[in-house]
Amino acid sequence: MEAKPEAVLEGAGGKAIEGRSLGRIAWMRLKRDKAAIIGAFVVLFLTLVAIFAERPFGGLIALFGDSPNIPNNDLIDPLTSAPIGAWGGISLEHPFGLEPVNGRDLFARILSGAQISLLVAFLATLLSVVVGSLMGVLAGFFGGWVDTVISRLMDVFLAFPLLLFAIAIVGALPDRALGLSGNGLRIAVIVFIIGFFSWPYIARIVRGQTLSLREREFVDAARSLGAGNGYIIFREMLPNLVAPILVYATLLIPTNILFEAALSFLGVGVNEPQASWGGMLTRAVDYYQIAPHFMIVPGLAIFITVMAFNLLGDGLRDALDPRAR
Amino acid sequence: MRKTNALALAALGTVLTMGLAACGGTAGGGGNTSSGNNATGDAASAAKHNDAYTKVVNPSDAKGGTLKYALSDEPDSMDPGNTYYAWNWNFSRLYSRPLMTYTAQPGEAGLKLVPDLAEAPGEVSADGKTWTYKLKKGIKYDDGTEVKAADVKYAIARSNFTDELTDGPKYFAQYLDSGDYKGPYKDKDLNNFKGVETPDDYTVVFKLKAPFSEFDFLAANPQSAPVPQAKDTGVDYEKAVVSTGPYKFESHEVGKQLNLVRNTNWDPATDSVRKQLPDRIEVQFKQNAEDIDNRLIAGQIQVDLAGTGLQSAGRAKIVNDAKLKDSTDNPFTPFNRYAMISTKVKPFDNIDCRKAVQYATDKVATQAPWGGPLGGEIGTTAMTPTTVGYKAFDLYPNGADHKGDLAKAKEALAACGQPNGFEANVAVRGDRTKEVQVAEALQASLDRVGIKLTIKKYPSGDWSAQYAGKPDFVHKNNLGIMIAGWGADWPSGFGFLSQIVDGRFIKASGNYNMMELNDPSVNELLDKGIQTTDATARNEIWAQVDQKVMESAAFMPFVYEKTLIFRPSNLTNVYVHPAWGMYDYTWLGVKQ
Amino acid sequence: MPGSDPPGHPGRTIVVAFIVRRVIAAVLMLAVVSMATFAIFFLIPRALGQTPEGMASRYVGRDATPEAIQGAVKRLHLDDPLIVQYGRFAKGIVAGEDYSLGPKKAECPAPCFGFSFNNNQPVWPTLVDRLPATLSLALGAAVLWLVTGVSIGVVSALKRGSVLDRAAMTVALAGVSLPIYFTGLVSLSVFAYTLGIFPGGGSYTPITENPVMWFQALVLPWITLAFLYAALYARLTRAGMLETMGEDYIRTARAKGLKESTVVTKHALRATLTPILTIFGLDLGLLLGGAVLTESTFSIQGVGKLVIDAIRGNDLPVVLGVTLFAAFFIVLANLIVDILYAVVDPRVRLS
Repeated sequence: MEAKPEAVLEGAGGKAIEGRSLGRIAWMRLKRDKAAIIGAFVVLFLTLVAIFAERPFGGLIALFGDSPNIPNNDLIDPLTSAPIGAWGGISLEHPFGLEPVNGRDLFARILSGAQISLLVAFLATLLSVVVGSLMGVLAGFFGGWVDTVISRLMDVFLAFPLLLFAIAIVGALPDRALGLSGNGLRIAVIVFIIGFFSWPYIARIVRGQTLSLREREFVDAARSLGAGNGYIIFREMLPNLVAPILVYATLLIPTNILFEAALSFLGVGVNEPQASWGGMLTRAVDYYQIAPHFMIVPGLAIFITVMAFNLLGDGLRDALDPRAR
Repeated sequence: MRKTNALALAALGTVLTMGLAACGGTAGGGGNTSSGNNATGDAASAAKHNDAYTKVVNPSDAKGGTLKYALSDEPDSMDPGNTYYAWNWNFSRLYSRPLMTYTAQPGEAGLKLVPDLAEAPGEVSADGKTWTYKLKKGIKYDDGTEVKAADVKYAIARSNFTDELTDGPKYFAQYLDSGDYKGPYKDKDLNNFKGVETPDDYTVVFKLKAPFSEFDFLAANPQSAPVPQAKDTGVDYEKAVVSTGPYKFESHEVGKQLNLVRNTNWDPATDSVRKQLPDRIEVQFKQNAEDIDNRLIAGQIQVDLAGTGLQSAGRAKIVNDAKLKDSTDNPFTPFNRYAMISTKVKPFDNIDCRKAVQYATDKVATQAPWGGPLGGEIGTTAMTPTTVGYKAFDLYPNGADHKGDLAKAKEALAACGQPNGFEANVAVRGDRTKEVQVAEALQASLDRVGIKLTIKKYPSGDWSAQYAGKPDFVHKNNLGIMIAGWGADWPSGFGFLSQIVDGRFIKASGNYNMMELNDPSVNELLDKGIQTTDATARNEIWAQVDQKVMESAAFMPFVYEKTLIFRPSNLTNVYVHPAWGMYDYTWLGVKQ
Repeated sequence: MPGSDPPGHPGRTIVVAFIVRRVIAAVLMLAVVSMATFAIFFLIPRALGQTPEGMASRYVGRDATPEAIQGAVKRLHLDDPLIVQYGRFAKGIVAGEDYSLGPKKAECPAPCFGFSFNNNQPVWPTLVDRLPATLSLALGAAVLWLVTGVSIGVVSALKRGSVLDRAAMTVALAGVSLPIYFTGLVSLSVFAYTLGIFPGGGSYTPITENPVMWFQALVLPWITLAFLYAALYARLTRAGMLETMGEDYIRTARAKGLKESTVVTKHALRATLTPILTIFGLDLGLLLGGAVLTESTFSIQGVGKLVIDAIRGNDLPVVLGVTLFAAFFIVLANLIVDILYAVVDPRVRLS
């Protein structure tokens, strides 16, 4: 059960990527990669947009003079439910047009939804990085039965039809649990599910890297100087693992954005009226024939965001591992 | 829950009676556009928008052809004894004959009950507790055997007294005096079922716990259609229902396809309501809703079985095409879409806080999710315009444009001691997009006067059993407002109101009086009404009940639901039957 | 070398032993997955305050009396300890189970994945019924993406840095960045609704009924699904090829004077394809358990649509059945891949 998608995605074939000495070279390479730089800028831009979307003082949304949850029924044709005007009611006041039926401003809703997409993706990635790195290091470092147990555990996790589980669990959520309620609870659970079930992807890579690091001289040196396992793992191994972890975390974020969007699309994401990109697409299903912009706007938002993260992640990987170019 | 699936109510009330009074039948000139062309109503091209609402469009006695239905959903069951879908109470009459049924006529006349399997309407005893029906002689099943009174008794027993057949209503179990009868699956001896007696093969006697003047309506439920005990396979019976109607089962793949063919053992001489025109009737289940619309408009299929109307894309197509629009009808359905405001959850236990909600709501915004004016008319009463006894009134006028009277709302808030508004929850069935959109609109409306709503979504499957229909849960979770809907199971004021406003119907679970209104004057009026034999006096009482309910400010109607249904030009004998708010499926034929 | 063991040689026994070991592991894995699935669907709701009565209320219709609910609790054994319930569920899969339909019992022969009380059908036949649609979708798309994805990847790798490579990789990157339901909706909107070239959603027809309709209805879903995977596979193939081409043995082969086409097809491609086929097996296994998003977007009544509808309708037996069914395909794909590896590459057997 060795050959898994990640082994190939990884490209490096499980060989360790050297850390510090490579860092500067990698940075030079990255700077030359135009696509990655564009990706990085878009990522930065989107992150800032998400952070300042609704704060402080109503944030960007208020700056543009609208609110994501206020209906504009006057701007909707009552007989067809479609926004009045060409292109879904796109105008200076409503640059992305209006939602059918209730006429909510799509620009405000896209901005508001960006918060959810990025927040969930970042937190879930963080969780899987923490769990995955720990498991990967343990498996790779100790080998033997520890490795066997963790590897089998990863197999089991990968054998779960994750999407189904996610839908079922989120769908069965009570109103209030763990001291959280409403969307706070939902976001926490979604983050937990996505993060908890995607840790094997990180763990595999970290395990492979650890396996090869373990055989290196500096580890032997540290050990011969009397360093304990903890010292070796945290002081010697982890610093050398930061780069690959960072790369694959960057590549995991877009996957997680898509995952959150898929959950929202299937109706188990955050609760309305909080906007989410996937949730907007769900509603667009009913109106794509009469209001195609309602499908295109959130679809493009997801696409651009995911693409930007992928560009950045590809660039980072190429920079750190030239063989994959 | 009864509301979404249920049958209707629907005597055409004051709103329509003006147009209908004169026509009452097959070739009337009612409606809004076609008063001049009521001669014979021959050509399809002559039919206008809403024509089938008042008269028969494309009348024809031509036999033959295959009539095709499609349904986007899957039925609970095609077993007449185990279904709660309004369309199925209409459709199942093609292969099953209840004791009573509705007259085959558009308009008000269609709400009159006529005997079907029975010879005459039920005869009630002096104490009002015994109803007797005589069966027509010589009615046969599709295998040629004769229908016996015991089969009717058995049908009632299986549909109302078993754990297995759970999908239909349980009115007979509720009203019949049957002790602790265990049902025919646990207790094979039908003699132990004392609620119904069969003194001979052609007489069925119902024994009631208390007088109930509208029992004929119950006898019109498909649950009273006979089932031979030997043929009953329980839940599986839907696979091969034994037919008494003009069509019989050829094949039925559950959840996929049902094919009906002519039943040669059906005798039209015994049947005053049905026709037997097409050679075959085919039903496809689980079809894509938009695809159904496209195929309807193209004439490839003839009827959307659910009768719930066109999807948004189809609607847009119709609205923008005058010719297509002439092939549509826009009838009221039996449903009222409303919010119930709990009288037990703070601060709504104070009537002024409830009034604040009534005044602050933008009813144009809450109408939009149903599809605007084509999807429903803005409502101000508990009963719908097509309910017998309906009287128009508006106790909480919220502006000329219905967009809310914020000044009055603030006054009411002040009177309630919450001048700056408050926080509350609104419960909604999360998988019903339209209702969620209504909740969102309500949220935005009330926000204008400082009432901050949080939307709580619950699955519709457990909605009445575990969430909004469970007062305990409602109190514990502070569900101040609940978005719901209701269409009655039989067309009478009692049928519409009793389950949702009678304080004695508040149940620990499966409760539809979610506002927990327990007003003695309402309860008394209901009792008085059901014992009043004079129809006019009785209808007057239903209007009074409506008034009382609205005075409580706990019931906030959004819209009287309407649908936009399409009739392809190759569909013949089309009219909207008032009892269902959809086409009469037993009349339809197809042009070849 | 693989295949060099003469008959009766210990090597063959090792292969058999390996296969037996892997099969046992796979069965154990399914058992674990089934327990976890069961726990998620029955334990978590209970931990969150769900009562047996609450579970039962889903099965008793709209007008349930408390007695009816109690009856359902008894009938469905919902008041048994969970371990007993799991035992009954597991026994049903292995040995079948009977359910009361009223006057008679419904047999639910093995493998009985339970009984849907929403449409009163045993889960297994429903699943089997839905499988052809999912199979049609997944297999057709798989052929499409494997052929296009791999060839684009190979060509890109060979023409590395060319305009063609850049264009292909840009499209591929876009492909993996687009949500499948969005591509699906756009293609429906353009090709079905606006241009009318292909039929719209929900027009799937079984091949046995009308092969032409079957094909027409599946073109858009195939392309939509294959686009995502082809993009992924093109990226993987290209990366794999580039890595292989840099290996020593390829250089050796070239140095030996072998023709470039021989080097590429005989050596590089073979080495690249092995891991790709592995992933292919797993992806296909995953899709056979239901292409949830694609089936939802195009309203194809397959296994994925079944489970989504079941989740929305709170039909736990169906959800549980499909989840297990999907896990079965994933484990099976894993198993086949493992065994193929063991047969092809003797080193694996020792691990």
